[in-house]
Amino acid sequence: MPAMLKIENVTKSYAHNGKRLDVLKDINLEINDGEFVCIVGPSGCGKTTLLNMVAGLDFDHTGKILHRGEPVGIPGPDRLMIFQELGLFPWLTVQKNVEFGLKLKKMPSKERAKLAREYIDMVHLTKFKDSYIHQLSGGMKQRVALARALVLDPEILLMDEPFTALDAQTRDSLHDELQKIWSRTKKTIIFVTHNVREAVCLGDRVLVFSSLPGAVKASFLIDLPRPRRIEDEGLMKHVRQVLKELKFEIDKHFHEEYDTKEDS
Amino acid sequence: MIQKKTVKQIIFYSAILALWQIVAMLKIWPPYLFPSPLKVFDTLVHGFMDTTFIFGIIISMRRLLIGYGISIVLGGLLGLVMSKFKTVEDTLGGLVLGLQTLPSICWLPLALLWFGLNEKAIIFIVIIGALFSVTMATYSAVKNLPQLYVKAGRNMGARRFRLLIEVIMPAAMPPIISGLKQGWSFAWRSLMAGELLFLNLGLGYLLAMGRELNDMSQVIAVMITITLISIFTDKLIFGRIELGIRRRWGP
Repeated sequence: MPAMLKIENVTKSYAHNGKRLDVLKDINLEINDGEFVCIVGPSGCGKTTLLNMVAGLDFDHTGKILHRGEPVGIPGPDRLMIFQELGLFPWLTVQKNVEFGLKLKKMPSKERAKLAREYIDMVHLTKFKDSYIHQLSGGMKQRVALARALVLDPEILLMDEPFTALDAQTRDSLHDELQKIWSRTKKTIIFVTHNVREAVCLGDRVLVFSSLPGAVKASFLIDLPRPRRIEDEGLMKHVRQVLKELKFEIDKHFHEEYDTKEDS
Repeated sequence: MIQKKTVKQIIFYSAILALWQIVAMLKIWPPYLFPSPLKVFDTLVHGFMDTTFIFGIIISMRRLLIGYGISIVLGGLLGLVMSKFKTVEDTLGGLVLGLQTLPSICWLPLALLWFGLNEKAIIFIVIIGALFSVTMATYSAVKNLPQLYVKAGRNMGARRFRLLIEVIMPAAMPPIISGLKQGWSFAWRSLMAGELLFLNLGLGYLLAMGRELNDMSQVIAVMITITLISIFTDKLIFGRIELGIRRRWGP
């Protein structure tokens, strides 16, 4: 059976001051069904670009991206992206936001309302189902985005630094929740972050990207038992390994962005 | 708080009426040129009682609603096409911007020759009056739409028409509404200018008749009527729409 996602020799370049600038160069990756893969790397390493390509939102590249052996085409709900800024619709209530993709699938309204309620319940927002987005806290918005994606039963969930703007407590509780949801639904998740602890805490595998050109520099298997918590001592060994690999890349850029302290 | 505001408003309008009354009593101008508030109120009541004002309002509102309705549909489509096709944007865009600054009443001579002395000419002026504001508002709203919403919509499987209806239009609605509001006031201005110049019933006609008959109390009474209609549409229609948008999008 072909891999859930296979990325073969993918290169992406932009024209920059008359020269070709490689954002991603010769990316080769294989991601298995149900795997939770975290990608860390400095800004400008093309992490977001790679997710956009898998989602089908960015198709101007060389190489192949195969989803279950088939080249990925136009965007669709089988590969769903959770954007850094989420992109929830302010003109719709929480309930209608979660129903949005189902409506596009032409699911009858009663059925989709019921299904959406189940997922809103799963992310503990039942009390807020009739609220508008601006009435929610940052953590609640994240949960809506999760529910809106999961209700469509995607095969691959692409998460682009989703928890960056949250405070530490909210982020910790979302880590717990995401792990629970993942172990229940067994989705394939590609999670981009620049927080190494977060990556080690969540991932089965952590990929370190280098920047300019973006490329896979190293890959670490994290075989720690779950559920994991970000303060677990066991994580530290892996965090140090990943950081060591990332050190060179960090030095190329700004230190503060990759600070791994609690408040990072 | 609300009561305090009401008290202030009552004082303000009483002061205006008092000032008006004093100036009228000074008899600087003869009463038919500068009528007292009471006289105007009397004319207003009579105008409604003998139905001339009511018919005036109905006739003007009919022209306004038809013209404004057409300009919303046409302007929305034009704006959308301009925002989606670069060639249209580069060519028609500049023309629309230029025409927006041309007072719509300048079209009256052409309209009279094209359509004749009839309802169509006046409705044409109203359409032209609101059309370009609606076009520009729709165009810039869609053009400056946060791309994130479009990406999110496409990501969940929305394409072409569904993307337009389910994502682009609602996301662009707040700035489009302010364009519609501007269009509404331009439509009114165009209608009044048209009705004043080209006598064919309506509120503008009542204004012109007042002038012909040297009856300034009628002119002022019609002006008050128009102002009241504007205040009501603003509060009841646009006010509600804007409230709905604020409730959804937040402050």
